[in-house]
Amino acid sequence: MSDKKVTIEVDGRKLEATAGQMLIEVTDAAGIEVPRFCYHKKLSIAANCRMCLVEVEKAPKPLPACATPVMDGMVVKTRSPLAIQAQQGTMEFLLINHPLDCPICDQGGECELQDVAIGYGDDASRYVEVKRVVKDEDIGPLIETEMTRCIHCTRCVRFGAEIAGIRELGATGRGEHMRIGTYVGTTVTSEMSGNVIDLCPVGALTAKPSRYQARAWELTQTNAIAPHDSVGSNVHLHLRRGQVMRAVPADNEAINETWISDRDRFAYQGLSAGDRATQPLVKENGGWRPIEWSDALALAVEKLRDARAEANALAAPHATLEELFLLRKLMAGLDAPSLDYRLRQADFRATSAVPGYGLSIADIERLDAALLVGSNLRKDLPIINHRLRKAALNGGDVMVLNPVDYEFNYPLGGALITSPSNMVASLAGIARAVGVSADGAIGELIDGAAENDETNRLAARLTAADKAWVAVGALAEAHPDYAVLQAIASAIAEASGAVFGFLPMASNSVGAALVGCVPSDGGLDAVQQLSQPGKTSILLDIEPAQDCLNPAQAMRTLDETAFVIAISSFASDSLKACADLILPMAAFAETSGTFINGEGVWQRFDGCVRPLGEARPGWKILRVLGTMLELDGFDYESPAQVHDEVRAMIGDRGIDNSLDDPGDVEPWRPKGMQRIGDVPIYRIDALTRRATALQQTGEPVSALACINAALAKRLRIADRGQVKVGQGGKSVVMAVRVSERVPNDTVWCPAAVDGSELLGPQIGDITLEKA
Amino acid sequence: MKAATDKNSLFDAKIRAEIDHWIAKYPPDWKQGACMAALRIVQDANGGWLSNELMDDVASYLDMPPIAVYEVATFYSMYELKPVGKHKVCVCTNVSCMLNGCDRIVEHLEGRLGIKFGEVTEDGRFSLKEVECLGACGGAPMLQIGNKYYENLTPDLVDSILDGLE
Amino acid sequence: MNTLVNYVRSLFLVELFRGMGVTGRYLFRGKFTLEYPEERAPQSPRFRGLHAQRRYPNGEERCIACKLCEATCPALAITIEAAPREDGQRRTTRYDIDLFKCIFCGFCEESCPVDAIVESRIYEYHFENREDAVMTKSKLLELGEKYEAQLAADRAVQAAYR
Repeated sequence: MSDKKVTIEVDGRKLEATAGQMLIEVTDAAGIEVPRFCYHKKLSIAANCRMCLVEVEKAPKPLPACATPVMDGMVVKTRSPLAIQAQQGTMEFLLINHPLDCPICDQGGECELQDVAIGYGDDASRYVEVKRVVKDEDIGPLIETEMTRCIHCTRCVRFGAEIAGIRELGATGRGEHMRIGTYVGTTVTSEMSGNVIDLCPVGALTAKPSRYQARAWELTQTNAIAPHDSVGSNVHLHLRRGQVMRAVPADNEAINETWISDRDRFAYQGLSAGDRATQPLVKENGGWRPIEWSDALALAVEKLRDARAEANALAAPHATLEELFLLRKLMAGLDAPSLDYRLRQADFRATSAVPGYGLSIADIERLDAALLVGSNLRKDLPIINHRLRKAALNGGDVMVLNPVDYEFNYPLGGALITSPSNMVASLAGIARAVGVSADGAIGELIDGAAENDETNRLAARLTAADKAWVAVGALAEAHPDYAVLQAIASAIAEASGAVFGFLPMASNSVGAALVGCVPSDGGLDAVQQLSQPGKTSILLDIEPAQDCLNPAQAMRTLDETAFVIAISSFASDSLKACADLILPMAAFAETSGTFINGEGVWQRFDGCVRPLGEARPGWKILRVLGTMLELDGFDYESPAQVHDEVRAMIGDRGIDNSLDDPGDVEPWRPKGMQRIGDVPIYRIDALTRRATALQQTGEPVSALACINAALAKRLRIADRGQVKVGQGGKSVVMAVRVSERVPNDTVWCPAAVDGSELLGPQIGDITLEKA
Repeated sequence: MKAATDKNSLFDAKIRAEIDHWIAKYPPDWKQGACMAALRIVQDANGGWLSNELMDDVASYLDMPPIAVYEVATFYSMYELKPVGKHKVCVCTNVSCMLNGCDRIVEHLEGRLGIKFGEVTEDGRFSLKEVECLGACGGAPMLQIGNKYYENLTPDLVDSILDGLE
Repeated sequence: MNTLVNYVRSLFLVELFRGMGVTGRYLFRGKFTLEYPEERAPQSPRFRGLHAQRRYPNGEERCIACKLCEATCPALAITIEAAPREDGQRRTTRYDIDLFKCIFCGFCEESCPVDAIVESRIYEYHFENREDAVMTKSKLLELGEKYEAQLAADRAVQAAYR
């Protein structure tokens, strides 16, 4: 598109535009309303609804504003008799087959068709014949269909092809028999599929979980930040009588554009789960007894006083910045150095101070090449994957080094799929091909690495690219040689002129690192804390059976710990098994706070719902604990005061991906088979795990072992049978699937699912036998 | 989880060669151009109709999303999505044929075969299909069986045509 | 002059006799008052009394939980909760009218697209507990079933004006 400026006249107003822009973009920017259904600024132009017809002087017929490029001196009339007649005619046609079921339609009250029909339609229709009826398909647990209402704008079809990257919906048949659907009645599987609910201008596609539960006019809209990944998508929460009814995206070009992932959209369901912690509970003789807040706090204070410097604390990286800051201050006040937020990190030999993306989210789509090390990006961070997809479709090379051949919704520029233990060698191979010259042990490792065609190809593409990114993902974090992987990846980035970064998972991983939720001198990191029982432990919003690298060991250690104080939104059975005191904490939407996303952007949000039962915001609980422990500087009156103090403490520090030398690089050598324990998309945090609709989507929710055909043959295991999977002495019987996406001698066995809590580390030795 | 299918496992060698002939006519990244031809080839080889599985195979063979193939197959009326008889009798009921008495022909056919439009005879020999103008208005009323047009029909002529078929 | 006329009028008690004349006239006319409860005033088919919820002749409840009545109610007397019924249809799980708040304006009836919520001719009722003033869905449906004949007849008479 050239930058030539043209001047056009719309309804008597002179407007400046860029040549090649479509008329509707110019009128939208000027605030002149043109009705439309099929046009959407983020989708390609279809011009099939014909609702945006306007009169253009010298054109013989009305023209669709969405598909008419502006030209210098163009005179446009959007409300002339000709335009109005065209719009009314279109509206009459659209309503021919649209049912008059607005009273039972969930879109009623926020329906584009209703609005446009009122604003631009005629009073009555001349059509008296019978309307058509379309049979519905069940396209999954998230989206409700009522295809009789469809007006064939094809926004959902274009969304699938252009944004989601998997075309699942299509327009089959023709003429009056045309219908939108999957044709074969399959479930829509895109991780961003919920966006078609917002795109649909009518009530054909609506949200299934909130079906029939609220009317648009009953809802109050508030702003929030999605707490499920490090993108920090901006959302609007829609509330009805103090309850979150749904979440919809809020526009933020720099972060999530106009999209959100299904996880951010539907995870709110977890707020009304049955096991929410609603009152302080104390364990007595193996049973649980509700107690008063004052007694609960007094007990916690007593136990913390007993332990003092020996107290341990673990915080979830999705806690708010204020909570994490106060926890750190509390621990500092007790002179206790053992504090950590890196619950899924396996190797602490060396790590970046504040791991983050290393570049802005908007810049990701302008990359020429990217190398992902150990990341199922599409499921881990759907919005980042969407940005990277745009880069890939623009000719960029997205390359991966992964232990599982994960599905991506764009063609990869290269993929090295190898067992976890071999990832270090493969990455070193790429480093050697890139021409990394490093000293010390890392240098030796790289020099000794084998190159092959694939490593050379990846290296060549990375070096040739103008703007490249080397990003270390969540699976690398769980790797026993995380420090080595980081060091090599960083060296590759340096040698190839790429930006080095991480793909932190949680909404406030960066914030936790910035406030310093890490062990200070002599303190224990997460792995150490969860391997040796201590005196008193604080768990901030953690479910040990799901949120830790090695759940079996974590549960055992916490069980043996003298006193475990759990500050948590949920009182799950696994938490009850290992905690001694549960302090109910306000959950997402119930508390105010700040998240710092993977790019380093600070985003504040307010609580909009009253905490359930006697639950209290986390910052208040920690503040009162601090005061009762008679520590200095805990007399805050509002979260804003805490925020200001954090702000002052952090100053202008941001993402810092620079690395220390890991020193020892003796690599992990597996004894036999290796486990690849990634965290499935809808098992990422306590809230998501309780979102019932997301749990029904077909993503892994219960224990499952995936092996390739060669291994299955060797062990004489049949596909879809049962196997006994063992790790650390315990074994679990689970379903088995044979998939060629898994390399030899590895078992892809997701973590954080039902049944996996008895297993060991996410990446480690595993045994498998016929059940 | 769908793994990439081995294309040589799809269809038999002869069909693959025919489809490849059509693929070769389009640029390498526009394989979907051969979709209509591929569907026709596969339909002919499958006794005149396309099953969902066959359409999926065409999709994998041409690296297209399956839904895109369904769209094509449902759009054009000459792709059959349900089993048809050995002889597909396509009767034109468009304006010229209607004016020249195709109703009589249709009535006769329905009576003789004992089926209505869109149905197949029990022995699987005939299916009846209503089609729009086939461009033979000069010989209205007309019908098409296989690749052959039969024009200026009368009920007797229809009988002799049907008797003449195996 | 005016003073003189007023003086003569008050002297001869003209106003009094005129008033007595009115009284006398009505003394011999028919009575306006009714001997309630033995006698009842006539009711318009548009009478707005106690609410009821109607059913279709096949027994299916009419209300589809569109919540227009709730939205239109000027007194905020109506509270509705909705959810998909077992067969997937849109239905209310709760439909309450607080009669203490209700001003019997009839907007709910007017807004209803399916003639589910109606105001019946009942105007004689009492409560013994505060809770009784809340007309629940079951109470409304019960009333609707009981007076369906009358309700249907009234709607039929008014059909032309609705």
